[in-house]
Amino acid sequence: MIKASNLSVRLAGKQVLHGVDIEAAAGQLTAIVGPNGSGKTTSLKAIAGELPYDGTISINGHDIATLKPWQLAVKRAVLPQSTVISFPFTVREIVRMGLSVGARAGADEADRIAREALEAVDLSGFAGRFYRELSGGEQQRVQLARALCQIWDPLQDGEPAFLLLDEPVSSLDIRHQLTIMRLARNFCARGGGVVAVMHDLNLTAMFADRMIMMKSGRVRAAGHPNEVMTDGVMEAVFGCAMRVNATPAGSVPFVLPHTAAG
Amino acid sequence: MPRSEMTAGSGQSRPFAARLKSEWLQGDRSRLARLVILALILAAAAMFAASIMTGAADASLGNVLRWLFGVEGAQQALSVRDRIIILDIRLPRAVMGLLVGASLAVSGAIMQGLFRNPLADPALVGISSGASLGAVLTIVLGSSLFGALFAVFGFYTLPVAAFLGCLVTTLLLYRIATRSGQTSVATMLLAGIALAALANAVTGVLIFVADDKQLRDLTFWGLGSLAGANWTKILSAAPIILVSLAVVPLLAQGLNALTLGEAAAFHMGIPVQRLKNIAIVSVAALTGASVAVSGGIGFVGIVVPHVLRLIIGPDHRYLLPASALLGGTLLIFADMVARTIVPPAELPIGIITAFVGAPFFLWILLRGRSHMGL
Repeated sequence: MIKASNLSVRLAGKQVLHGVDIEAAAGQLTAIVGPNGSGKTTSLKAIAGELPYDGTISINGHDIATLKPWQLAVKRAVLPQSTVISFPFTVREIVRMGLSVGARAGADEADRIAREALEAVDLSGFAGRFYRELSGGEQQRVQLARALCQIWDPLQDGEPAFLLLDEPVSSLDIRHQLTIMRLARNFCARGGGVVAVMHDLNLTAMFADRMIMMKSGRVRAAGHPNEVMTDGVMEAVFGCAMRVNATPAGSVPFVLPHTAAG
Repeated sequence: MPRSEMTAGSGQSRPFAARLKSEWLQGDRSRLARLVILALILAAAAMFAASIMTGAADASLGNVLRWLFGVEGAQQALSVRDRIIILDIRLPRAVMGLLVGASLAVSGAIMQGLFRNPLADPALVGISSGASLGAVLTIVLGSSLFGALFAVFGFYTLPVAAFLGCLVTTLLLYRIATRSGQTSVATMLLAGIALAALANAVTGVLIFVADDKQLRDLTFWGLGSLAGANWTKILSAAPIILVSLAVVPLLAQGLNALTLGEAAAFHMGIPVQRLKNIAIVSVAALTGASVAVSGGIGFVGIVVPHVLRLIIGPDHRYLLPASALLGGTLLIFADMVARTIVPPAELPIGIITAFVGAPFFLWILLRGRSHMGL
């Protein structure tokens, strides 16, 4: 369980988060959504422990402020939005970096995990390619494989581990969007937890167990996508009147930009 | 794989080569890297021996070795004059070349990892100038201003002062060029020019007020050279260099993770601030000690790690030791060229490294423009 209470963050003198409460349970995919600049990524970075904040953040009951970097590294792995590198690392070398920290595996074990992680993100056969020569979407999937390796077993020392994903599908084609969202769900099914910053509301509604809707550095609504994605919340948060519909079979909510008024 | 297969004859070598190639195709360069390091150890030893034998006085390897290891009868094989030349001139020179070359190459590799770009080099970004300034300060104002320092550090004063000058410059440069974990290549290079200019200006003033004897000592720092190598100098710099080189392997995993950015390194469990502090102090110690004994020798720190990255990749676990070996080997070689190319005169070694290094730097610049944000 990740629990952030009364979280406030100032960036460059500007208050970006105002007393945000975020809870993410193990076994669940928690999505943080909201307009640009609403504080989604800042919330995720604070939970990752990389920003100074006011309030408290705990992972499985441990206050993250009291944990050393290497202790945090076995409790959560982070996928940043994009990663530019200036040295000619191969895909395999990048993915293996995820195994150099956290739970250390033997050489053969590490090889197997790295191979399976690449398979999981649909990049089998890319191990020998140079990272810099890949497309943005491929690079993002390499980074995800690297993060996966870091907490390959979703239960670390009996405690659930968490994947923190910042827009994991933003630069992916539709097939790989599904691959990655399924991978995230699978991680939850095996006992871990996922917190993902998302832009695509419909994909979020399809896969998320819990949706946290942010606006201007505050949480505006939180709960099951069915409760959060309503006409009222849409208009209040995005300032754009849209009609939320539901799929006939599973009653998954969806919203089409076509319905926007004006 | 057992060692025997690595050195096996032609019958076994083909499967080994095939295995190496298949690993390389799979993006795994670790075995290749270990092999290259092994080859570099041999190359360094060979270059060391060649350097001791090269020069006007004649000495065969067999005789030198026999004499050094105290084999009977070897005393007669070498004349007293040759023994003095070898023991007091060539040997310290080769040792110093090895130490200084290793220091400069490793400093370069660490700085490039720290700044996350392949153009960082102690000499290019003003750090060597900071070290020179520290050294020149102690020479010119030594007796009056640094009396206490001399009293405490004795003959280590010069390397220590160079280290401090180096440390201040590196910290300043890092502060200027890096904002919230992102390093701007352009800012780094331009700030380096400014810091070097400033350090050189202060050095210039000191040269202006120096007396004749001090002036002779000072001109030495203008052009890097191993010509002044002697055992006293080596004893003053070697402890600092060897301790730093022993610490450096601890940085490897951290520098690898840092390639992905400071935030990502932290996510992977690296204590980033501590890593950066150790890296900066190591660079300052290695560069400072080198500059104190041999002046500013440029481009070793940029050429060596870059060539190695092309072959064994950028993994710092292999890059750092390989850089030390290749850096030492190349500097001994450059020194051999420096003292034999225009006999009986000697070319400052800095000129040779610049002749090779400057075009190389331009080549990296042109080749890497697209992904270095220039």
